[in-house]
Amino acid sequence: MKKFNIAITGLGGQGIITAGTILKNAVLDSVMQDVSGSERRGGAQREGYVEAFVKYIFYDSIAELQNPRKNMHSPMIASGDADVLISLEPLETLRAASYVNKNSVIIFNTNPHIPISVRMGKNKYPELDDILESLYGITDNVFYYDFNKLSLENFGSIISCNVISLGVLFAKTNIPVSKNVIENILLKGSKAKDNLKAFNIGLNL
Amino acid sequence: MANLFVDGKYGDRGIILGNEAIARGALEAGIGYASMYPGTPASEIIIALDKNKKNIKNIYTEFSLNEHISLHGAIGASWSGIRSLCAMKNVGLNVASEPAHFLAYTGVKAGLVLAIGSDPGAPSSSNEQDDRWYSLHTYMPIIEPSNIQEAKDFTKKAFDISEQFSFGIILMAPSRLCHNAGILHFGDCSDRDLISGNFKRDPENYLNLFNLAVKNHKKYLERNELLKKYVYNSELNMIIDAQISSTKSSRIGFISSGVIYSHLIEALNFINADYYKILKLGITFPLSEELISKFLDNLDEVVIVEEAEGFLEFQIKKIAFEIGYHGKIHGKNVFKAYGELTIDDVIKGVAGFLGKAAPEYFTAAVNKSEILSDKIPQRMGTFCVGCPHRGTIYSILKASGYSNTDSKDRDVVIAGDIGCYTLGLLPPYNAMDWLTCMNSGLSIGQAISIADKSKKIIALVGDSTFYHSGIPVLMNAIQNNSNILYIILDNSWTAMTGHQKTPSTKTDIDGTPIPNSVNLKDLLKSLGVSYIKTVDPNSVKRFSVIIKEALKEKGLKVIIAKRECILQEERRKKIKNIKSKLENSSEIIYELQKERCVKCNECFVELACPAIQSAKENGTNNGKEYYFIDPVSCVKCGVCYEVCPNSAIRKVEFNLHPTVNTAIMR
Ligand code: SF4
Ligand code: SF4
Repeated sequence: MKKFNIAITGLGGQGIITAGTILKNAVLDSVMQDVSGSERRGGAQREGYVEAFVKYIFYDSIAELQNPRKNMHSPMIASGDADVLISLEPLETLRAASYVNKNSVIIFNTNPHIPISVRMGKNKYPELDDILESLYGITDNVFYYDFNKLSLENFGSIISCNVISLGVLFAKTNIPVSKNVIENILLKGSKAKDNLKAFNIGLNL
Repeated sequence: MANLFVDGKYGDRGIILGNEAIARGALEAGIGYASMYPGTPASEIIIALDKNKKNIKNIYTEFSLNEHISLHGAIGASWSGIRSLCAMKNVGLNVASEPAHFLAYTGVKAGLVLAIGSDPGAPSSSNEQDDRWYSLHTYMPIIEPSNIQEAKDFTKKAFDISEQFSFGIILMAPSRLCHNAGILHFGDCSDRDLISGNFKRDPENYLNLFNLAVKNHKKYLERNELLKKYVYNSELNMIIDAQISSTKSSRIGFISSGVIYSHLIEALNFINADYYKILKLGITFPLSEELISKFLDNLDEVVIVEEAEGFLEFQIKKIAFEIGYHGKIHGKNVFKAYGELTIDDVIKGVAGFLGKAAPEYFTAAVNKSEILSDKIPQRMGTFCVGCPHRGTIYSILKASGYSNTDSKDRDVVIAGDIGCYTLGLLPPYNAMDWLTCMNSGLSIGQAISIADKSKKIIALVGDSTFYHSGIPVLMNAIQNNSNILYIILDNSWTAMTGHQKTPSTKTDIDGTPIPNSVNLKDLLKSLGVSYIKTVDPNSVKRFSVIIKEALKEKGLKVIIAKRECILQEERRKKIKNIKSKLENSSEIIYELQKERCVKCNECFVELACPAIQSAKENGTNNGKEYYFIDPVSCVKCGVCYEVCPNSAIRKVEFNLHPTVNTAIMR
């Protein structure tokens, strides 16, 4: 059995759950594949912490697929067990850093969203350099971009950050899913043209 | 793309949410009635059916006013021979506990399934209660699926079990299953043309009084014994035999159910220990003594892996005592009884118990995150940009003089309640003094107004919560002449659970008027409220004056803070814009002029609209910090413009069509 775990985190309204759903749809081509992964919305409609897990499972044999000791998968990702962490907010990258290990890839958006506690002067928002230092302390594979800026420049809104980050996922990791499958999913969805463009922007970063 | 949820057939596969899988199971079982009072994490169960109802023959869906009504509705449908599905969140069963306790006495006719979304860790609830304990006295059998496929298959099966033993069946789904999305292999739906109701009198079962009730009590205990025999043979439970023989390990076993079972399987693989004897319970009430005894046979020790206080452990220890089992039974001595039991907790617990090491990368990550966690400021949710509740909370705090303080001594008491406005209890507002259950705001507040006459009391309630069970509370306050200010935050929707209609909703999102909507003011008048004011919560200055005035008055005062939920208003605008493409109207923007801003924090911290943000001059780390309005997220509600004491926020009006833009400055 091969597994590939992706944790996606960020804030409400950033399309975290949509990104997870797009990735999950990629396993429908073969019966030997499976996927699990829950979403968590941090209580509020907006501003709260949101995460989505995508756990790809590739069975080696039909016997394995039918083995009750092998064919049941937790909806959560254990500490250190994510192959990739995608995060659409720098602080949330740090918060989710517990999911990754020294071989994992971290892809994150450098555009900060200041939490209320920092507004009130009770806490300090860590500097990007500090965040990077902590992340590099875990893995060398850290990729970061200002997805908000890229999305704004190309689409006039920040709505495409999530799909751009999926493009980066396919460019920078060994995700065992073909990018054509994702392109086909985007093609069938709404706003197909923009989404394909966003995906390509990410692919070329 | 075809809509698989409705049209899926045997052989189809699709990605689907846990909640939708439950709804699909009910659809395959041929339900004709589906009801709920919305509540996270269960809401999508009925939403999935409701939004597709035009394409589903013979289905009735209802977002009832509360859980009590909703479960009664499902019972009525069942008695009429229609299979029914009722859904609610964990605490909903407290409200519906009355019908739940009668259901065993009367029994069902067509299958009835009550799907309950539990919320361990309480990310969207005010407690972590494990509803399974109710079944010790309601005798409602409990089924617990572990993944998406089982969510659908077990739901479908539950209807058969319900009919066979005449019990309403509880289907338990924690938020991790409700909001898991994965592959579903669809089955066929039964013939929906055959669904039609026919209520027949059944006094023997439906009338419960005196000895009739006693007789029915005896009957359901007997049915429960029959059900246990079924449970013994049911394929919903499964024993996986040990894969090693005659070693010490072969004498240890694990018992689990639901999502926690999926954690267990993964945890055992994680630590390379996937060879123990395992009992997977798909039916967790009633348990079959025979099944437990068969499993415990040959085992010296058994570990029960479950969330919360140990419902399975409680039952299994009783059985073990009765059968004279001499081995050790572990459970809550290994796993915590509070908070969500995560995959990490299960890995640590199982590894610790077996004396095995978790992989190095796991331990490293756990240690690392402990070090990092100090550095990471908490992020709590807050009101959406432009949310009218922000105006209400801000106005209350201004009127009572307690803004932005968590001081313990206040002489204005502010009672919270259940709904989006609950977020006002979080910083920076710290506005609420308690949060427990539906309509506890006014009911507890009213008693405090009697017990402590030195305090002024404000109780908040949203429109949906008010209609849920607030009317009797209000009438009680009126009858007893309470001295309290009751603010009804009427935003026209049950917003927190995805915008279901409330009796206050006057127009549907697509613009269709709703004819039987309630006029709240008239309703209040007819209940005998004489002091009623209506105010736009975004007019914060006016609102705080009105609150101050009301607090001076004796008796019961009601203020209706009326403004539609901003998300719905924005959606409505979008739909309208698509319809009428060209906007001839003028466009307003709000701009924070940094040269005038003295950073008094009135907008940034006190009001705390998330669209008002800070940045550093020249984009460098040491540059001077300044505030600005993010034009992308600002929804132009204008509240910050009203609150800035230094005229630093200006309103700019553009006329989109004439070629010259005229800016009207403040
Ligand atoms: S007008 Fe001011 S308060 Fe309203 S959304 Fe915009 S920034 Fe926030
Ligand atoms: S209220 Fe006015 S002066 Fe105060 S921080 Fe906001 S913009 Fe600046």
